[in-house]
Amino acid sequence: MKHAIEITNLRYRYVDGTQALRGVSLRVEPGECVGLLGPNGSGKSTLLLHLNGILPEKLVADGTLRIQGEAIRAENLENVRRQVGVLFQDPDDQLFCATVAEDVAFGPQQLGLSDAEIKTRVETCLARVGLEHHAQRATHHLSHGEKRRACLAGVLACEPTILVLDEPTSGLDPRGRREFKALLRTIPATKLIATHDLELVVELCPRVIVLDQGQIVADGPTLELLSNEELMLAHGLERPHMLEHVHPHAGREMQRRRDASGPAE
Amino acid sequence: MNLLGHQSAQRQSPIHRLPAGLKLGVALTLILGTVLMPKESLAWLAGVAVFLAIVALLSRISPWFLLQRLLMLSPFVASVALANTFQPAARTSWREVAARGVLCLATVILVSNTTPFSEMLRVLRQMRVPALLITTLALMFRYLFVLADETQRMRRARASRTFARGRGFAWRTLATVAGQLFIRASERAERIYDAMCARGWK
Amino acid sequence: MHIPDGFIDAKTAVAAAVLSVAGVGLALRQVRKELPPRRAPLLGLSAAFLFAAQMLNFPVVGGTSGHLLGGVLVAALLGPAAAVVVLTTVLIVQCFLFADGGVLALGANVFNMALLGTLGGWAIFRALSSCLPTLRGQVTAVAFAGWCSTVLASLACAGQLAWSGTVAWSVAFPAMAGIHMLIGVGEGVISALVFLAIARTRPDLASGAGPDLGSLRTRGFIGFGLIVSLGLAIFVAPFASPWPDGLEAVAAKLDFEHKAGTPFLPAPASGYSMPGLKSPAVATAVAGAVGALVVFGLALLLSRALVPKMDPSGREPAPTNGISAN
Repeated sequence: MKHAIEITNLRYRYVDGTQALRGVSLRVEPGECVGLLGPNGSGKSTLLLHLNGILPEKLVADGTLRIQGEAIRAENLENVRRQVGVLFQDPDDQLFCATVAEDVAFGPQQLGLSDAEIKTRVETCLARVGLEHHAQRATHHLSHGEKRRACLAGVLACEPTILVLDEPTSGLDPRGRREFKALLRTIPATKLIATHDLELVVELCPRVIVLDQGQIVADGPTLELLSNEELMLAHGLERPHMLEHVHPHAGREMQRRRDASGPAE
Repeated sequence: MNLLGHQSAQRQSPIHRLPAGLKLGVALTLILGTVLMPKESLAWLAGVAVFLAIVALLSRISPWFLLQRLLMLSPFVASVALANTFQPAARTSWREVAARGVLCLATVILVSNTTPFSEMLRVLRQMRVPALLITTLALMFRYLFVLADETQRMRRARASRTFARGRGFAWRTLATVAGQLFIRASERAERIYDAMCARGWK
Repeated sequence: MHIPDGFIDAKTAVAAAVLSVAGVGLALRQVRKELPPRRAPLLGLSAAFLFAAQMLNFPVVGGTSGHLLGGVLVAALLGPAAAVVVLTTVLIVQCFLFADGGVLALGANVFNMALLGTLGGWAIFRALSSCLPTLRGQVTAVAFAGWCSTVLASLACAGQLAWSGTVAWSVAFPAMAGIHMLIGVGEGVISALVFLAIARTRPDLASGAGPDLGSLRTRGFIGFGLIVSLGLAIFVAPFASPWPDGLEAVAAKLDFEHKAGTPFLPAPASGYSMPGLKSPAVATAVAGAVGALVVFGLALLLSRALVPKMDPSGREPAPTNGISAN
């Protein structure tokens, strides 16, 4: 069985000498939703940028990183970028076109689809994220939440099998966060979410990986790891309160999982 | 950025709905005519003025707004027209020069406030303007507001911690802000490149 | 200095437009050849940066304030070809979105500011900074070149206004040159300050002009030189020629002299001539040269004030060209 993402002993050093990744190894199976936690500077973003070949600057197909079983090479780079959709931290970096529709159409255009297909994809994806009436709006007029959703639409328009998200809920108001979380639940792709939003991780990700100083320090079931206060505090995190009491909006799923895992600590 | 009256471009009116190519074409013709008409072509100038007034009415843009923009940009027109008066026997009187200048100004103001920039770029693309220039124009327009916001935030942050008065200090502060702005723009440009590549740009 | 519509006639606008299209086309080709793809969005972002930076009011006196044009600054950071593209982009957006500068006059504005001002200024910057490779020297170079770019642009502007018959040279030249010699000081100082701010935080960005050294020998530079010289020949030289009689005779034959009776050369009463010099044109040139020297001296003083001595030998380490991004 091919792993969706397979990383073996990945190392990366920045131009200024900082060793950002010191031998990271992990595997993600198709359909999984995995949370990636870690303090600032732990190397999360750097790791994510490797998944669609943006890093390293000179691709080396030495098997350290495999997407759907294939190492990333110059020849299959295009294909990898189609399969792996990346949502960047700052939506302003990603929404580089003047209107929403133009931006969502960017990916399909690069894929060489026909005008009719592009139009359909744009409409479908905008509808999926709830922005169908905002197609002609200028990107700089959007609210932060709308920008994030527009970015997601743009990525979904390429129909990726793997979705990589870098801090998707940062800066969102509570409603924005709830809506975005609900949106993510509807997407069947394999998901790897780097985030500080511990509630998001508890609600969406059955499995969590903790990264600190370029190394994986934990990889396992979410509730187990997040309940481990010592582990959390040691790596710049904390045990989320919601493990104690269920948020009224969290729904049945949370309740079920909490009951299944037994009393916390 | 209230300087950019593009909120108007979002409104709907018969003028807004016209194709960009048509508007630009008409505007160009008007400007060409106004510039090329021989001296003392009062009929033409009056005709253009009336035409523009009708278009302005149809476009439903606030006349106060248009007047404001016109006044803001007139100083150079006025100064050159003024310089014109100091000549013994100039070719065209200063009144005419000013009138022509103002009419051309008004034409461009109307077009720019009834046409989204991306539409103008589409027309340029059809005119076979090189892709690199079009991309540069598009990115500039897109990130104008982002950078303008950043500028404002930085200035406010600086102002909150500035107690010294004096122009020299103000200049150095502003220069630091500008310097920071460029560095941030440069870093953002790299991230944009990554985002473009991530969606298949070649 | 943005010329509105109606101030230059058809022949001037067309001549300037032809030169501009050639110049910008050349710059685009140069940029495509030299700029690594990774830096492509930087052009658009730099244009946005310039625009935002131009909104900063540098207080001068009372309510007036100075603003940055930015040709030399961008050229020092990104190289001359990229600077031409960036400035052209800014001018196009200013023209179409803000009606700042006429549509038909766009060619003239692009020539004056994006080509003549930027390239002329950059050439001076390059020449100076290779003689003065320290940080202080670079700052001096940016300051002086910034001033030069403003003055150069204003000269062409005056020439275009005169050639169109809108304003006589005898009025346009002193007015434009005079005002812009003052405005240019602001441009020089602001450019230098911003350049220094960038060089201190990210020296790798400030050495952007370094890799373009090779382009001095390529066809690009020759092309630019041709276009700029041609423009100067058309717009400025006829009015500033030191050989009045010969040129007037030629002009009379070609029938482009202004028959309105306005003097062909700057009048001695314009305040530019030095007492004792006979030919008004030469006197103007000398006065201009003296002005330039004074400004250069000011630029040296400025850099001295801004960049303190770092080590006993009195030289700061020069920003090394090797660390330029990518």
